[in-house]
Amino acid sequence: MILIIGGEGAGKRTFVRSLGYRGEDMADGVLDGRPVIFHTERLVFADPDSADQLFDSLREKQVVICNEVGSGVIPVDRRERLGRERTGRLCVLLAREASAVVRLVCGIPSIIKGSI
Amino acid sequence: MRLLILLTGGSGCGKSSYAELLCTHLPGPRYYIAAMQPFGDGSEEKIARHRAMRCDKGFETLERYTDLDSLSLPGGGTALLECICNLTANEMFDKDGNMTDPREKVLAGVENLCRRCGHVVVVTNDVGSDGGGYDPATSAYVEVLGKINAELVRRADAVYELVCGIPLVRKGELLL
Repeated sequence: MILIIGGEGAGKRTFVRSLGYRGEDMADGVLDGRPVIFHTERLVFADPDSADQLFDSLREKQVVICNEVGSGVIPVDRRERLGRERTGRLCVLLAREASAVVRLVCGIPSIIKGSI
Repeated sequence: MRLLILLTGGSGCGKSSYAELLCTHLPGPRYYIAAMQPFGDGSEEKIARHRAMRCDKGFETLERYTDLDSLSLPGGGTALLECICNLTANEMFDKDGNMTDPREKVLAGVENLCRRCGHVVVVTNDVGSDGGGYDPATSAYVEVLGKINAELVRRADAVYELVCGIPLVRKGELLL
């Protein structure tokens, strides 16, 4: 599994296309049979308390794309706060499992773990 | 040898785990300086989680919310300060919400830890990277914390940004 992270609009899906995946290979925040999932953070925010349960399904994907949502002022709202934190923790677990982790900044990929 | 290491990164990125791991490779005794006050905004959950994480790592926990510049420690060893964000808020706002510039107190606090312990690991957060639009007090906090972080980076021997649990070197060299 390859983990792709970065901010909203950072070029994550464009990068994944460069690996040979097509739009129809990518599931938008739902767990189904497609090899790539993006907007993984939306799955977490939908139910932050159950975020840990997503790990087993996500590790089976070829590519997991997730927005980096942990920066900025910590929200007062519990759900918002937990969503950010659990997204981060899930990404720590996924990164540990991943053969490669790529971070996109302004469309520029940096491989921060492993190789592709 | 004096060593100051600063760790930054977003929420849930693995800063605390990595900070503790770093400290277990640095000389004892190990002091955990807890600046988070145990009320509001999920702090109880966070404190309980952090306590459980470090319970078998040989830290003595010192709860100290302000005035780290006058903290007395026996000398030597390693201090882990968690975190600059809380310390800055505590030094900046009193219980009635009155504001004072926290820069001098926060920096003098870290300096005191360095002087007494020799090895210091400090955790901070990147609070400036969002859409902003906060009330004046919060905006002032975000700005001053950014400046404190920049000054700490200037003084630090090593700075790592934690991303998905992976330390990215922003200054100095990777210790582990």
